[in-house]
Amino acid sequence: MTLATSEVAIVRPRSRRPSSMALALIGPATLFCLLQLLVPVAILFRYSLNRFDPASYMVDALTAENYVKFFTDPYYLTVLARTIRVSVVSTLICLVMGFPLAYWLARMTSRWKNLMVILVVLPLFIGNAVRAAGWMTLFGAKGFINSVLLGSGIIDQPLTLMYTEMAVVVGIITVNLPFMVLTLQSVIEGIARPIEEAALSLGAAPFQTFRRVVWPLALPGTLAGTILTFILAMNAYATPVLLGGPKFTMMGPLVYDQFSQSNNWPFGAAVSFVLMATTLGLTFIAHTALRRRRVG
Amino acid sequence: MAKVEIASLSKRYGENFVVKDLSIEIPQGEFLVLLGPSGCGKTTTLRMIAGFVEPSSGQITLGGRDVTTLPPWKRNTGLVFQSYALFPHLTVDENVAFGLEMRKLPAAERRENVAEALRLVRLEGFGERLPRQLSGGQQQRVALARALAFRPDVLLLDEPLSNLDAKLREEVRVEIRELQQKLGLTTVMVTHDQDEALSMADRLVVMSQGEVRQIGTQRDLYERPADRFVAGFVGRSNFLAGQCEGDGAFISAGGLRMACTAGVRGKGTLALRPEAVSVGPEAAHLDNSFEGVVEYISYLGSVLDVRVRLAPQDRIIVQIANRSGEVLPKMGDTLKVGWPATSGRVFAEES
Ligand SMILES: Nc1ncnc2c1ncn2[C@@H]1O[C@H](COP(=O)(O)OP(=O)(O)O)[C@@H](O)[C@H]1O
Ligand SMILES: [Mg+2]
Repeated sequence: MTLATSEVAIVRPRSRRPSSMALALIGPATLFCLLQLLVPVAILFRYSLNRFDPASYMVDALTAENYVKFFTDPYYLTVLARTIRVSVVSTLICLVMGFPLAYWLARMTSRWKNLMVILVVLPLFIGNAVRAAGWMTLFGAKGFINSVLLGSGIIDQPLTLMYTEMAVVVGIITVNLPFMVLTLQSVIEGIARPIEEAALSLGAAPFQTFRRVVWPLALPGTLAGTILTFILAMNAYATPVLLGGPKFTMMGPLVYDQFSQSNNWPFGAAVSFVLMATTLGLTFIAHTALRRRRVG
Repeated sequence: MAKVEIASLSKRYGENFVVKDLSIEIPQGEFLVLLGPSGCGKTTTLRMIAGFVEPSSGQITLGGRDVTTLPPWKRNTGLVFQSYALFPHLTVDENVAFGLEMRKLPAAERRENVAEALRLVRLEGFGERLPRQLSGGQQQRVALARALAFRPDVLLLDEPLSNLDAKLREEVRVEIRELQQKLGLTTVMVTHDQDEALSMADRLVVMSQGEVRQIGTQRDLYERPADRFVAGFVGRSNFLAGQCEGDGAFISAGGLRMACTAGVRGKGTLALRPEAVSVGPEAAHLDNSFEGVVEYISYLGSVLDVRVRLAPQDRIIVQIANRSGEVLPKMGDTLKVGWPATSGRVFAEES
């Protein structure tokens, strides 16, 4: 038998230089992305080093005082901590709720599948503000939930549902869940059904099959979906403002307030940078942690 | 390894029977092949044995254990998929060890079994590779090793060779068959490829549209086909339309009277193997002897396929061995053909 040695086919990454054609095709888009990303970021960073003056607003300077102000004031640190907490919690819930739904959608063979996918993305057709208004009619002191509970005598005082962290988390989940589900669905569809069946026939019960086969194979895409929803949550604006109320500040609204209410552009720019750096940092940590677990 | 018993197994989707009333006992160590055209219910049958399709009725027993209602992971069947379905994120070793791990085998024993399974499929030294670093033939052998390593009650193969190129396919046929015999594996294989089925099986089940047409050895199917379908699907047959007299005589559409097997009466078909027909002087002494005109010749190398017109409505293909030095017929020649009565099998018209 000479097969064993003669059929070896090792796949090697081919090193190819991009042709000038390819460069011409991808060049403009890349350039555009870089410019519209880098230029505002660069300007923002420069602003964050300026000094604020109540009379003349922004004064050219090279100072770290905006960052110092942020990291020494417990109020701002609370805002940052709250933003991270809300984002982590809502993202984890999106993942836990989204995975089964995405799996079910991905493995669905009925002709209703497309309809189901549309139902999942339907919430995205409603703007954040309109949706939040809907939540207000549900969660408000005289809203639907309280009316029902009061009316049926289960409670005698209206519950505080609006303007709570819970309301904001729920609100963000409804916005982000479709993104999570769609990302996961396409990843799971990439795992051929026979691969799962192979595990089952080899004696792995469904949970083992999930743990040993589906989850590791879905991991890269799961990471993408998680990062996407996490970034969306960190930067949420309408939902925390409308459902969290005036006292429940998160980073997105804080940036906006500094720019438009207080006219403090340097501090607003610094807050933006803290938000951006935190988001990137946490994303990076999650990425490396998962990577390491997969390799190890 | 164990005996497999299947009793009145059926699968219905709505009104439509995909598998209908299949009963068979597969003794330990037998290589059984389900053969039939695409869509006849072979895969569905195999998946019912593996536990992925719930039977509409019937019973499946593996080594005396009724598994009809057990989920796949409790059945102990070794399934090899057409697409191999190797775990792409696991090495060859890890793939093969998977079933052993699920059975909680101690690590040392596991390593031993993995090495043994890889040795059997001649893939020693490939354990550290990932599936994508292997050729199709090697992946196929890993799939086989993975299905064997945990000593399943039955090995199930669904068109295991269809993704290999033609030359490799014939080699792997022999390899799988030798391995199966060496280990005494009770095996059920599904294929639509007649050659593959005939060359590997101990016994075959010919299926068509969910129904079992015949169960038997190659020889049973070839020499005593149960119906017209089997006569056409296993090996080649000439089919002549006509009238059966019931007493061993058949009147063809062209009005020729032919001696044949007895039994059937009324409108029917006479099936005749091309290689059962003799030509030339020796044809004269046989039960049936006719003269015909050579219409067409296919020179196939070791044999010639010659189409002979016996009557305007009756044409048969005759296979002639291409022995060296013999004078071969030419188009337009008049040729004597003949065959014994037992070679002409008659079947009643199918309702
Ligand atoms: N889930 C299903 N629902 C309805 N019909 C099915 C289903 N699965 C298979 N079939 C039908 O059953 C028949 C047999 O399929 P299959 O067992 O895969 O055939 P084979 O393997 O012999 O080619 C086909 O006509 C197929 O369309
Ligand atoms: Mg099939």
